[in-house]
Order: sequence, then C-alpha cells, then structure tokens
Amino acid sequence: MGRLRQKGKAGAAKAYVTRSASIKKLQCSLADFRRLCILKGIFPREPKSRKRANKGSSAPTSFYYAKDIAYLAHEPVLKKLREHKAFAKKLSRALGRGEWSSAKSLEENKPVYKLDHIIKERYPTFIDAIRDIDDALCMIFLFASLPSNPRIPPSLIENCSRLAAEWQLYVMRSHSLRKAFLSIKGVYYQAEIMDQTVTWLVPYQFTQNIPIDVDVRVMLTFLELYQTLLGFVFFKLYTDAGLVYPPPLDAKKDEVAAGVGAYILQESSQKAEKSAPKIKIVEVDGRQVSGKDVYKTIKSLALSSSNVMDVDVPTVEHNPRDTEEEFIVQPSKSDETASSLPTLQSIEALPPSINTSLFAPYTFWLSRETSRPVFEFLVRSFAGRIGWPSSSGGGSPFDESDESITHVIIDRPVIDQSQEPDEQRARRLKRKHVQPQWVVDCINAGKIILEAPYAQGQILPPHLSPFGEYEGAYNPALLTNDEEAAEGESEDEDVEIEDAEPEDTEALKAVAIAATEDAAALRAAELAAEAAGIDPSAFEKEVAQSRRKSKKNSSNGVDEAEADMNKMLMSNKQKKLYEKVKYSQNKRNLERSKLEEKKKDLQRQKRKEAKT
Amino acid sequence: MALNSKKRKQNDHEELPPSFDEAVNMEMLSDEEGGVDIESDNGDLDDFPELDPDSDENDDEEYESEDEEEEESDSEQLHIFPKVKTVVSDITGQEKRVYPEIEPDYDSDSSTEDTPNRVGDIPMHWYDDLPHVGYDMDGKRILKPARGDELDRFLETVEDPTSWTSAFDKTAQADKPLTAEELDLIRRLYANEVPDAEYDPYEPTTEWFTGKGKKEVMPLSAAPEPKRRWVPSKWEHKKVMKIVRAIRQGRILPNKTKVTSTPQFYSIWGESSSSHAPPLPAPKPPLPTNSESYNPPEEYLPTEEEKKQWEETDPEDRERDYLPEKYSALRLVPGYGRFIKDRFNRQLDLYMAPRVQRVKLNIDPNSLIPKLPSPNSLKPFPTYKSLQVPHASMARCISVSPDGAWVVSGDETGVIALWEVNVGKAVKKWKFNGKIGTVEWCPRADVSYFVVGTEDMLHFIIPPNLPPTVLQLSQSILAPSTLPPVPETPSPVKWSTPSSTVWTDDTAILTIQLPSSSGLPVQIAWHRRGDYLASVSTGGSQGAVWIHQISRRHSQAPFKKVRGKVQLVLFHPIKPCFFVAASFFLTQQYVRMYNLSEQKLLKTLQPGIKWISSMDVHPSGDHLIVGGYDRKLCWFDLELSDKPYKVLRYHTRAIRSLQFHPTYPLFASSSDDGAIQIFHSRIYNDLMTDPLIVPLKILRGHEVTKGLGVLQVKWCSRHPWLVSGGADGAVNVWCS
Repeated sequence: MGRLRQKGKAGAAKAYVTRSASIKKLQCSLADFRRLCILKGIFPREPKSRKRANKGSSAPTSFYYAKDIAYLAHEPVLKKLREHKAFAKKLSRALGRGEWSSAKSLEENKPVYKLDHIIKERYPTFIDAIRDIDDALCMIFLFASLPSNPRIPPSLIENCSRLAAEWQLYVMRSHSLRKAFLSIKGVYYQAEIMDQTVTWLVPYQFTQNIPIDVDVRVMLTFLELYQTLLGFVFFKLYTDAGLVYPPPLDAKKDEVAAGVGAYILQESSQKAEKSAPKIKIVEVDGRQVSGKDVYKTIKSLALSSSNVMDVDVPTVEHNPRDTEEEFIVQPSKSDETASSLPTLQSIEALPPSINTSLFAPYTFWLSRETSRPVFEFLVRSFAGRIGWPSSSGGGSPFDESDESITHVIIDRPVIDQSQEPDEQRARRLKRKHVQPQWVVDCINAGKIILEAPYAQGQILPPHLSPFGEYEGAYNPALLTNDEEAAEGESEDEDVEIEDAEPEDTEALKAVAIAATEDAAALRAAELAAEAAGIDPSAFEKEVAQSRRKSKKNSSNGVDEAEADMNKMLMSNKQKKLYEKVKYSQNKRNLERSKLEEKKKDLQRQKRKEAKT
Repeated sequence: MALNSKKRKQNDHEELPPSFDEAVNMEMLSDEEGGVDIESDNGDLDDFPELDPDSDENDDEEYESEDEEEEESDSEQLHIFPKVKTVVSDITGQEKRVYPEIEPDYDSDSSTEDTPNRVGDIPMHWYDDLPHVGYDMDGKRILKPARGDELDRFLETVEDPTSWTSAFDKTAQADKPLTAEELDLIRRLYANEVPDAEYDPYEPTTEWFTGKGKKEVMPLSAAPEPKRRWVPSKWEHKKVMKIVRAIRQGRILPNKTKVTSTPQFYSIWGESSSSHAPPLPAPKPPLPTNSESYNPPEEYLPTEEEKKQWEETDPEDRERDYLPEKYSALRLVPGYGRFIKDRFNRQLDLYMAPRVQRVKLNIDPNSLIPKLPSPNSLKPFPTYKSLQVPHASMARCISVSPDGAWVVSGDETGVIALWEVNVGKAVKKWKFNGKIGTVEWCPRADVSYFVVGTEDMLHFIIPPNLPPTVLQLSQSILAPSTLPPVPETPSPVKWSTPSSTVWTDDTAILTIQLPSSSGLPVQIAWHRRGDYLASVSTGGSQGAVWIHQISRRHSQAPFKKVRGKVQLVLFHPIKPCFFVAASFFLTQQYVRMYNLSEQKLLKTLQPGIKWISSMDVHPSGDHLIVGGYDRKLCWFDLELSDKPYKVLRYHTRAIRSLQFHPTYPLFASSSDDGAIQIFHSRIYNDLMTDPLIVPLKILRGHEVTKGLGVLQVKWCSRHPWLVSGGADGAVNVWCS
C-alpha cells in the first residue's frame, strides 16, 4: 500500500491558483496585477476540473498556472511597480507639505521600468516577434488616428503615428504587401515579412471617440508594450535592410502634412558594408534588388507569361555572376543529394508569388476626395508612382499637369464636362479614370485587370475578400459561371413546355412519375397520355427524367437507411460527437444554401426586370 | 513700564491713609524714597545701577535703599511676605533681617472701611428679595432705603444732569456718581483703546546689556574656550571631499542631464536567446470574409428579418459583430463606430479569457458510424409483408406452433383465430368472454395444443384437423382417464376438465381456474419439455406467478413473497433456471435468475430500464435481451456481467415485444412507433469474441392506433419469417 495522499497537496489543486490568491501572493493591487499580466502575456487557464483546482469549490473564478505566478514574483517590473507605489506616497506627502524642492527631486528620480527583457522573454527569436505583431500594428494605427485628450497625451499619439509611418515605409520599401481589403470596418492589409503573414486593420480617416465602457488604462498598458515591441522589431527590420533607425523626420515636410513622406530613409553605409556578404544588393534603376527579389522576379516572369497578357512586367536585368554565386551547386560525389535541389516541378508547386512591381509602369494621380494615406501606401508598395493635389497634403512628387500620369483614381460621379477647355479634355482623354476599388482588386488579383468596369460613374463589381473563407463555403464567383447557364436552360425549357400545353403538363408529370414504378403501369400511362393527346416524345422524356430521379433517390435512400441503421450501434459518446460534427456541417451547409438561394432569387428578379 | 506704574500707584494709594504712613515712618523713610523713586522712574531710566563688584564699598544707606526698593517691588509682585530690612545688629555686629511690625488694627487693612453694613464681602444679590441689606455693628437690620417707582426714577434722571454718569451701588443702596477715572476707563474701552491710561505702548527700548560701555567684559565661566570653536571640522571636511571626489570622477553630476524618456532600441535579438520554448502565440482573430466588404455581392446583404433578428440578439450572442452593408462608392463609407470597442474586446480576450488548447476535430462524421457487414450479405431475413390477417380489434397476442406452420392470434374482443402461415385464412375461430391476455402453443412436437389466457382462466385447446395419433396423445395428456392424486394441501387453483362426451373443437379440453381477482394472465411461459408452464397475471400480489404442471395437474406459487411486482418470467432453454423480471417500487428494476433444482438465486441483472416490457433468452442460453417501455434494449451476456453488454436505443417509442429466432441468428423487436426492427445476432463459441449485432431491416406496415403500434412479434421456427400483431387489428406475416 502506498502512502496516504493528502488532499490539495498535489495535482490540479497545486498547479492552479485563483486570481485573488495570486494577487495576495504577489502583494500588489489588482490593477498592478492586470498590468503585469498584460505585459508578461500571462492569461488564465481552464483547468480540466474547476472543482478540483479550486479545492472543492465551484465558485466562478479565473485560474492561473501557479508556475506563471511564481515567475511573476521575480519580475523586475513588479519591483518597479512597488517602488512606484512608494514614490507616489512620498510625492503626495511632499506636495501636501508644500516641499516643492523635494517634490521636484522626487519627480526627477521617479522609478521607470523598461520592457526590454520582457520582449526578449516573450519573443526569443525575431520570427516569434513578427508572428505576433498583428495586434500591435492594429493598435498603433488606431491610436495614430485618435484625438488627444487628458488620458491620451499628444506625445503618445505622435509616437504612434511615427511608428505607423515607419512600418508603412518599411513595407513600401521591401515590397512586402500582399493583399488589401476595403471592408466596412476599415482597410485590411496583409504583408509577408520573413515568410510570416502580418495582417493589420487601419480605420478610415474619421475621428474616433473612445466609448465609456472601454477601459483606457488597459488599452494604454497594451500600447506601452506594443510600442516597445514595434520599436525593437522595426530596429531589426531597418538595420537588416541597411537603413538607419529611427529614420529622421523632415520637419518642414511634416509641417505641410506630407505624412509618410516626411521621414527620410537613410542608408547606413558602414552597416551595409558589414552586411554585404550576407545580403547581396544590386542596384537596378536606382533601386536595391536583393537576390531574393531576383529569384522572385524570375518566378513571376514564368507565371505571368502564361496567364497575364496585358501586363508588361519590368524585366530586371540581373547580373549572371551574381546568380551563379547565389546558386553554387557543389559537384556531389553521389547523385542521391540531387533530390534536395529545387527542381522545376518543386518550383512550380510553390504557391504563385505576387508580382510586387505590379504598378511599376504606371503613374497615378489621386483625386482630392480619395484617401491619400491608403492609396499612396498601396500604389507605392507595388512600385507605382503617385501624386496628389496639395489639398491632400504636401510632398507630391509631381503635379496634375504631369504628362506621365496614366491613371487617375477618382471617386466622384460623372458630371457634364462640355464646357471644359480643350487642353483639359485632351488630358482627360489621355488618362484612364478609375475608381479606387480598381487598385485594390488589381493587387488582390495579382495582375492589372480591365479598367472598363471600374471607370468613373460605373456600378462597381462586388469587392470580395482576398483572404478567402473556410473550405466549402459559398463562393459568389463560382455560381455566376456554371449554374446560371444550367438554370437558365432548364428554366427556358420549362417555359417552352408551359407555352405549349399549360393545362396538360401537370397530368403528364403525375402520370410519368407513376409510370416509373412498374411496366404495366407504364403501359397504362402511355395509353392515357395518348388519349390526352400528349406528344409521345415529350412523354418519353418525362418518364426518363422521373426514372432517373427515382433511381437516384432510391440508391441514395438505401445507403442512407443502412447508415442510419448502423448509427444504432454507436456508443453514446460517439453519437454525441457525430451529432456535434453534423451540426456544424449542417449549419455551414445551411448558410451556403441560403446564400445560393438568395443569389438565385436576385438573378431571377434581374432577368424579369430585363425582360420587362 | 507696567511694573513701575503699578508701584507708583501703590505709592499713591499709600499716601492716602496717613495712619499707615505714620506707622511705618520711623523705619522706612518711605516718603522721600518714594518721591525719588518716582523721579528716577520718570526721568533717569538710563541710570540702571551697574552690577559692579566694587559696589560693596557703597554706604549702607544707599545700599539699603537700593535693596529695599528691590524688595519692595518684589513684595509688590508677590504680596506674600512683608518688606524685609537688613540691619547690622548692635549686639553681634552681623547683618540681620528685620521685619516691620504688624499692627493688628482694622486700619492696617485697606479693605476694612467704615461702612455701617457688616455683612462682609458677600454677593449682595442674596439680599435682593429681602427688605434689608445687611446688619450693622449691633446686629440690627439695615433696611433698604425707600426708592421711588419707575416714574420717580425717570423724573430724577431728567432733573439730575449727572444721573447718566451714576450707577446703582448695591452695598450702599444708592446711586453713586462714577469717578472721573472710571468714566475715562469706560471711554477707553468704548474707543478700543488700551484701558490703562498710564500705559504707553511706544516706550523707548531700554538697553541693559548692549550699547556703549554696557557690554559684558568678563566671561561668565572660567573654562577655557574649546578647540572646536575655531578649528574647522575634520569630518565635515571628509564628507565634502567625498562629494568633491565623486563629482570629479563623474559619479555625481551637478546638473543631471535628463535621461530621454523614449526607450532606446537596439538589436535585442542579436544575442543568442535562452533555451526556453517561446510561449504559444495568441490565436489570431479570424480574417474578414466577403460579407465584411464595403461592396459585397448582393446576396450577402441581410433581409429585414435578419436585420431585426441581429438587432434583437445580445451583442455576446451575435454570430457576427457587424451587419453587412453595401456602398456604391468608397467615399460614401462612414467611419466604423465600434472600432475601438472591437479592439478593446480583443485585448480583453488576450489577457482575461482562459485559453484552452483544443484539438480541432477534423474527422469525417461518417467514420464514426461503425462499419458493419452489409445486410445483403446476411440474408435471409424478413423483408416484405406477404399476407395480412385482419382482426376486429387490437391483436394483442399471437403464437406460432412449434412446427412453424400454424398461428393462433387473439384480440381484445375475445376472438382466437387459427390460421396457416402460408395461407392466412382463418381455419377456426374461438370466442371467449373478455379480453385475450395471452396465447401460447405447447412446445412439444408430439402433441399439439395451445393455452389461452383470459380473465382468471387458462384454457387448453386442441386445434382441429389433427392426425389421430397426435390428437389422442394430446387428449390423454390434458385429460387423462385416471386423474393424478389430489395433493394434500388444497391449492387455490382449480383444474377442471369437462367429461369426454361433451368434448368439441369449440371448447377447451382443460381449464385452469386461477384464484379470483388474479386478473388477466399477460404471459405464459412454457418449459422446453412442455410439462411445466408459468403464468403471470396482472392482479394479485404473490398470486401473480403460478407454475403449473400438466402431468400432475398441480399448480404452485414459486414465490412466497415477492418484493415488487413480477412483470415477466422465462424458463432457461437448457438449464433448470428461471428468470423473473420484476419492478421494485418504481425506481429499481431487476431481472433475477433462479436455479429451480437448488432453489436459490443465481444472479441479479440490472438493466437500468424503468419499465421492463419484454424479455427473451437466446437459444444458447447465455444471452438475454430485455426491452423496456423507455425505448431501450439491453443485451446481457450472462457469463460476463450483471450490467448490460450493450444498450441500444433506436425505437422512437416504447418497445413492446422481443424475440430471438429459435434457429436463425436473428432477433426482432417491435415498438409503439409502428416499426419492427430485425437484427442479425451472431454469437460465437469463442468466449473472447463479442457477439455481433447488425441491424438488418426496419419493417413498417402497421399503423399506430391510440398510441400503440406493434404489440407482439413471433418468429416461425423453420423459416426466417416473422408474424406480428398490431394495435390496428392486423396480424402480418413478413417473409424473406
């Protein structure tokens, strides 16, 4: 017999602690505990048995791992928070006594905590950090667009907008933007950095008000962490790209609201030299091209030649010596290692890469009602040139009269332009006027699509999410192609028959269905049909159709019945699981069929309208 | 100085009573002294006598006067001791203190005045209510002087111009004019001035120890001046030097440059990271779908009902946190109102929501359905309805003859029909009074008769058209010519046979009269040899179960006392065992297995069914199925456990009847939902292999009437055919 086990000394009771217990252990306030949890990324856990974890009580509480809390106890930030508490007491006392000089010196020596070690701890490698910057970016972009108030100092907003600009600059320079989506919530962007997809949401340019039920303290704590994280991430990204971080701000340009353009990207020459053996930098058209870019361009060339006809991709002249250096194949002694080298097939099997210099041959002009930050970012990320009127901010590289402008992004209804001067008309006819959605759809399609449906004043085609949906979801693009035609045909047939013998069809159908059952009935039905004066060929068609239907039904029915019977022998657990899976499947199917039905209704309505 | 003025006042006062002056005159020389003193007070205040060590040489008188004055001022302050005089004694030649003599006169005290009232210094309001104000020296009352009324007093004030400067004196009981001093005091108080007229708030300072020639030249103590008074401190110097050194080394910055508040960024991922595994990244929010687009395809737009439904549901329960909307141009898209709230909720999720790692179920639901052999490979089994025999009302009971050729079926109107399985035409019908509870053929192959259970009765009937040998044997068994001896203890069950002369096909050859009020027999179970049969009735307590022995024409109750109510009984097909299904109260249901030869309980099975409706034993005798009104079917492996090996629930309504096929590996169950379920049940000789149960077919054809479906199913012994009796009055034969 083993030793007797005492209750609550091992297992879940020991592994989990409740929130109040951990606060008591850490001897800090709830607010400090929350702050620590946010900074350290500690979150509650769900024990398998709440009762066992809470020593027999089933009261609703949140549980933390006891080890997490034990680590928290040694956290330098916690020490600083305690020091800050003491400092606050001292300061309030000094102020209360009117000891201004001591208050001042206290204020000067206020304890400040740093989050560097937390960043390193939470993200041991750079990839980990990149993987987790989605939320950080969303917050930064949100706060960059907020008005300042007593809770949110202007310096914070300034810092956020600086970080946002730095991120955009990096994405534009590295051409790592992949997808964009104009949603009702804002603009979603997806970039690919170090093979990690980073998605962030930028609100439209409207003033946001912080609702009452939002705790700003929590948001600010998160923001504190995110600012530090992004600072380190950007430092690494910039230095790896051979740039100086932080990029210096041109105050003059900033004054005239140049936005992103107010920051100057400086190359760090010494660092570039150091990193030269690692990253090859080739200057093409005054632009840096790394070996990776070359590789990508080759791939995109191969792809674009097959499916994209209307785009001339800028061919990047690459130095053959460089590529040789890139792909040095060591003469292997045995041929077995050859399999590890990328073959043509393996390259083709890779997901289609995005043409990052999609807009390179074009020059865009932004009309004044379009959002400059959004489209400047989008176009420049895909190597296009873009200009804007001074009403949208300064720093435009060219003005409206520039001859090189090929596209005008315009978002206003067509107006009568009969009175415009000839010069302007000539200019207008030379340029293509497109609505903003065209830019985003081009990016998502990975090619330049026809401008005609997006021309000014046209009703836009629907804007679909580039991120896709779950497998087997309703695809709005698919149905339009296949089923429309099929349905149209069948409906037309129906209409024909109806036109011919509207009163007999019902009888015919009933008879035909009955006739599928057995031969004698078929014979009788044939006679009946003849008597009714129905075309024999039509009758045969109907019979064949109903037979097919019934066969399908019966075969399906048999299978289903068998499966249903086998369900009897499932255990209770299996039955529940089966029902759960089936439930979600049915729900998805229902959703899809609902959408399909709606679509069909809409099409039918449209056709009717077209006819009348 | 207040002190001086007081003193002078005192002196003035002292001047008033001459007697006092005279008294002290001889020794005090006070008059002159006093005059001088006043003068010195007024004019020559600078001349404070210096504390001179040489003052001893002053003449006596001067010294004395000085001393006296000091003493006097002291005594004036304290008023405790009389003034002391120090004189040189004539006798001893030493100085001595001489106190003035005290004269015990009334005059010596200024408080004693010559007033007639001798009550003393008491509050005079004590006499307010009395006619007198005190007593004179002789102890006689001093009456209050008569005072005029208010009018007189008023007139007095009018007449007398000084009346407004007079006040009523209680001791004298008369108005006395205020003195000039008193009036001045009142005026000063009234004007917020210092009340004392003599007081000068702006007196010039008197320099006692400062100024020229008044400094103290001699030290007070003779101790030499300590060194620390003039040598700079060594320790202070050390402290200062420490700071100086720190400043020189740069440890202390005199004007500390403010550290920039923005964090300095550096290559944090430059150094190798610790071997700790990174914490799991937080789950990312789902990516936006088509419906979130500003310009979605039209089918994504919600209808009015969907909008309403979305608005009515709580924000927590909504499937989506937004309503799809369509805008014709990007410039028309408004700001999203819940943006910050969404962000905040995401953050709450990040730090407050418990995270659980779940394995995403990516299984095909069809893989969960057990793979069983196809029913087609397990033929034969009944698949279709071959014929139907109608009854007037519910066909509650049926029985198939042991050779499987004949069927008797009974209904609620009391009609028993005998018909052939192949033909389905009733050969003969019997009519009984009341309902038919149960019908059962005798399992013996060499005889042919069946038992019909009606209210309190069991009727033994021999079907017509039997071969003569079988008929004879049956008759001899049921109605032997020599009856067996009647047992000694009289049984409540009566066996009766009509005389052989009145035997017809229509009447029963043997009738067992069960004790009255035992109710309708609902079940008859035959022992495999055909000599014993057990009957279960609805009514009665222990009388519900009877075991009848045909050969001895004897009935006995197997249980003296039964806990609960017996619902079903069964004989074991091989062993001398007996199954009893009973309900004990409403909660506990059990099936008990008794050994009849040893007369003891072998096993108690717990099916976990609320209401046991039917039970059957597999022909091998090792397996038992129990069906219940709560739709469950339990399969017991008697070798294995008291708990069911498998519990199946597939009927939508109560199970009514169950039966194993005697030869084929089949069993059937019928239910109130009008369906009959056929199963394949293979039992292996190998004890390690579980029995195989395969659902084969659902037979539908009975209609549900009054909530009742198929009431009984019976197999034909030689064929995979099934006979079923339904509540709709039809008895169906199902063939393969």
